[in-house]
Amino acid sequence: MTLPPLAYHALVGFVVLNVVIGMVTYVTLLERKFAARMQSRIGPYYVGPHGLLQPIADAIKLMLKEDVVPTTADRWVYNLAPIVFLVPCVLIFATLPFAPGLGVADLNIGVLFFLAVSSLEIVGLFMGGWGSNNKYALLSAMRAVNQIISYDLPFVFAAFVPVVLAGSLQMSAIVAAQQGVWLGFVPKWFVVYPVIGQLAFVAFLVATLAAENRVPFDILEAESELVAGFRVEYSGMKFALIQLGEYAHMIGTSFLAALLFLGGWLGPGSEHALVGALWFLLKAMLVFLVVTWVRWSFVRIRVDQILAISWKLLLPASIVLLLATAFWVAARGGHGV
Amino acid sequence: MNMGPQHPSAHGVFRAILTLEGETVVGVDAVIGYLHRCHEKLGETLTYVQYPSIASKTDYVAAMTAELAYVSAVELVGKIEVPKRAQWLRVLAAELQRVASHCLWLGTWCMDMGGALGGGATVFLYAIREREDILDLFEALTGARLLYGFHQPGGTRYDLPAGWAEQCRKALDRVERRLDEYEAMLDDNAFFLVRTQGVGIISRELAQEIGVSGPLLRGSGVNHDLRKAAPYSSYEDFQFRVPVETAGDCFARYRVRMVEFRESITIARQVLDGLPEGPISSRPGVKSVGQVRVPKGEGYARVEGARGEVGCYLVADGGPKPYRLKWRGASFSNLSVLPHILPGVKVADVVAIMGSVDPVFGEVDR
Amino acid sequence: MVSDGFWTETGQLVRAVGRAMGVTFKNLLRRPITVRYPTVKRVYPDRFRGLLALTYDPQTGEENCIGCRLCEYICPPTVIKVEMLKAEKRNFAKSFTLELYACEFCELCVQVCPTDAIIMMKSFDLATADRRELLLDKDRLHALGLQFDPSWATGNRLRDMQAPPKPAKAPAHAPEPVSAEQSSPDRRAPEAASAAQTSPDRRAPEPTSAEQSSPDRRASEAASAAQTSPDRRAPEPGEGAPTAKSE
Repeated sequence: MTLPPLAYHALVGFVVLNVVIGMVTYVTLLERKFAARMQSRIGPYYVGPHGLLQPIADAIKLMLKEDVVPTTADRWVYNLAPIVFLVPCVLIFATLPFAPGLGVADLNIGVLFFLAVSSLEIVGLFMGGWGSNNKYALLSAMRAVNQIISYDLPFVFAAFVPVVLAGSLQMSAIVAAQQGVWLGFVPKWFVVYPVIGQLAFVAFLVATLAAENRVPFDILEAESELVAGFRVEYSGMKFALIQLGEYAHMIGTSFLAALLFLGGWLGPGSEHALVGALWFLLKAMLVFLVVTWVRWSFVRIRVDQILAISWKLLLPASIVLLLATAFWVAARGGHGV
Repeated sequence: MNMGPQHPSAHGVFRAILTLEGETVVGVDAVIGYLHRCHEKLGETLTYVQYPSIASKTDYVAAMTAELAYVSAVELVGKIEVPKRAQWLRVLAAELQRVASHCLWLGTWCMDMGGALGGGATVFLYAIREREDILDLFEALTGARLLYGFHQPGGTRYDLPAGWAEQCRKALDRVERRLDEYEAMLDDNAFFLVRTQGVGIISRELAQEIGVSGPLLRGSGVNHDLRKAAPYSSYEDFQFRVPVETAGDCFARYRVRMVEFRESITIARQVLDGLPEGPISSRPGVKSVGQVRVPKGEGYARVEGARGEVGCYLVADGGPKPYRLKWRGASFSNLSVLPHILPGVKVADVVAIMGSVDPVFGEVDR
Repeated sequence: MVSDGFWTETGQLVRAVGRAMGVTFKNLLRRPITVRYPTVKRVYPDRFRGLLALTYDPQTGEENCIGCRLCEYICPPTVIKVEMLKAEKRNFAKSFTLELYACEFCELCVQVCPTDAIIMMKSFDLATADRRELLLDKDRLHALGLQFDPSWATGNRLRDMQAPPKPAKAPAHAPEPVSAEQSSPDRRAPEAASAAQTSPDRRAPEPTSAEQSSPDRRASEAASAAQTSPDRRAPEPGEGAPTAKSE
C-alpha cells in the first residue's frame, strides 16, 4: 500500500466501522422477521420489498425525532452516556479478524482485549441510568450492573476454554488451532470436542444472554414493570445510539462465539479471504439466531433468581470446566490436538 | 409507587398505589372506577329486549356469560320458559366463550411475565391465534366477534347456520392440539415455575371469607362450581369434571384454568353431539321494543363465568324495563383479595399475581 | 454441589428448555396466519354485522322504508332518527339519520324492521378522518346499500329464525321455508315429536358457498360473490330506477 500506515489503518477501521453499523441495522430486521415467523406472523412487510427498507425507515425516524432532555437530568452524564455505551460495543470489532489478513488489528492478546473492552459498556449503562434522574431508570441500571458483573465472570471463564485448548490469546491462532478434520468430515471445531466443547459453548451462550440483557434475563428492561429501564428517558438519536450499541455488542459476541467455538472462517473454500469471511458471517448469524430463538421462547425470571443462577450454578460450573480443560491439555502434553 | 391506570400490564384501567420497601410490597391501595359506564342505570332505562346487547359489555372478554346472567335473571323473575334447544345453545356459547376467555388470559398473563418483546409475546400470539378460531365461529353464528347480543329473554336470537357444527368441531380439535403445545412450553418450564409456584397464595379460609369465585376459589381447594352446585340452563345434562387444586398459588390457578379449557371443549362436543331440535326461543322474534314485560318481583340469577360467579339481581315492576338492576361482577370480588395477598411479595410478582387473578374491568367498574 | 438432586434438576431444566424451544421451532416452520389486509381480504361469514344501509324493493324500485320508526325506538344508544312522510298507499321516511360513530352494531334495528328496509352489510370499510362523515343521512344509507354486499340477516329472516314455529300455513316464497309445524302452540316444544317435522329447516337457508373457515382466510372475495339468495336489494345501477319515488 502506498498510504502511510496510520492512514491505511484509519481507512480500514473506518470501513469496518461502517460495515459493522450497516450489519447491525439489518440484523434488527433479521431478528424481527425470525421472531415473527416463530409467532405465526410475518414481520415488517410494507416498507420496501418484504420489509427490506425497514431499518432505514427506523433510522430516519429516529434521526428526525425530537431530542427530549429532562430538565432535572445531570446534563454531562446524561449526554455522554450513549457515547460511552456505544464506543466499547463497536471497539470490540477492531479485534475481530474476519479472515486471515482481513481485520483491523489482530492483537496477540485479542481475546483478552475483547473481553475487557466489552465490559466497559457497564459504565455507559450506569451513566445513563444515573444521569436520567428517574427512579425507574436508576433502579434498572443498578439491577443491570449487578447482573452484568455477576455474569462477566462465567463469560470470561467460558471464553477461556478455547484459549486454553488453543494455547494462545490471539484470535487468528485460535481459529488456526481449529483447522483440520477428524475422520474425514468432522471439523475440529472446539464445539465438537466431547463434553468440554459443548458445555463451554452452552455456558458461553447463557452468559452472553445475561451479559447482554436478553430474555430470559432481561429484568433490566422488563417492559411490564420498568418500561425500558435505563433507556426510558432517551429519545431520538441518543436512543438510536444505545440501541446500536446493544445490537453491536450482541453481534460482536456472536462473532466471538463463532470464532472461539465454531471455527471462525474455516470451511470449504476458505483459502480465499472473502469466502472465509462469508463463512464467518454465516456462523455468527447462526449463533445470533439461536440466541434470538431462546429470547422468544421463555418468560423472564426475577432478578434474585438470575443472580442465583449465576453465582450458584454458572460460575462454579465454568470454573470446573476451565480447570478440567487445563488438566486435559496438560495431560495431552501441550496444545495442538 | 403508582402502577397507574395506564400500564402495560394493568389488564385494563386499574390503579394500584403500592407502598414499597426496597423491592417488597408492604401496602396496596387499589383505585378502581376508571371504566364506570353506569350499567346499572342503563338497565333501568333500557328495556328487557334492548339490554342483553349492552349486558355483554360488562365482561367484554366473556360476553356470552354476561348476557346469560342478565337474561337468566329476567327469565327467573318473569317465569319465562326457555326451550331445550335454546338452553343447549346457551351452554355451547358459554363454553366456547370460556375457552376464548382463557386463551386471552393465558396470552396476556405470559406477556406480562415475559415482556412484550420476548417469550411472553410468543405465547400471547399463539393464544390469540387460537382465540381467533373461536371468534370466527361466533362470527359465523351471530355476525359479531366480541359483543354478540346473542341472548334474548326466552331463548337465543340466532340459530346455527349450515355447516357450523362441522366448523366448530374442527376448531375444537385444533384448539385442543395447540393446548398440548402450550402445556409443553409452560408446564415444566423452570423459568415459569419459579415465577408462579409459591407466589400469591390465597389460603382456603381467605378465599371463602373474601368471597372470590371461579378459578381463584377452585385453585385454593374449594370445590365450588356453579355449573355443578346450582345447575342452570341444562348443565345437569352434561358430564364434565371440575378441577380443584389445593396449593392456592398462581401455578394452581394456572392448572385449574388449563383443565377448564379441556373440560369446556368436552362439554362443547357433547352439546354438538346431542343438540335437540326445536325452537330457539319461547317468545316471538324481536318485533317491538317493549314486547317483554315482567310482572312485579325480584330475583337473583347467577352463572359461572370465566372469572367466577357473575350474577344479576333484578327488581321488576311490571313494565317493559327493570325497576332496578344490580350486577355482581366476578372480577370485583376477586380483586378485593389483592390487599391481602400482595403485601410481602416482590414487585415483579405483583404482575404475575394480577395476571392470575385475571380481572376484567368492565365487570369491576360496570 | 454435585449431588443427585443437582443432576436431576439440571436434566429437567434442559428437557424443559428443549421442549419450549421445540414448540417455537415448530411454529417457525408453520405458515403465518397473517391476512395481508387490505390487499387480501378474508371471507366474511354470511351473517356478518357490518355497516348499516337502507334498501330498495327489487321489484318496484321503491324504498322499502315506511318510516314506522320501530328501529328508532329499539336502538339502545338511540342513534337512529326518523321522520315519517305520509303518502297515499304507503308511507315513506322523510328523513333518516343514523349516527354510525355511536352505533353498537347490535342488529336490533335490523331485526325489528317490518319491511327489511334497514340491513347490515358484509363490510366495515368506512374509515374516515372526519367523524362527521359517519353521520349517515338517507341518501348515504341508500348509497351504501348499493355499494357493498348485504349480509344474510334481514328483519324477517331474523324474526323467523328466533320465533317458535307457527302453525302450518301455505309455504311462503322461496327464501323463507316456514317449517310446517303441528298446530299446537306448545312453545316449550323441543321434544322429539316436534323434531321429526322440523328437522333442519329451523335454520334459514344460507348460500352454501361463502361458508368461512379459518384456513380459507386468504381466499379472495370471488368466493363471497356467490351470495345470491333472492333478496330485496335494489336493482343494479342501470337496471331499474335506483331513484326512489319519494320527495
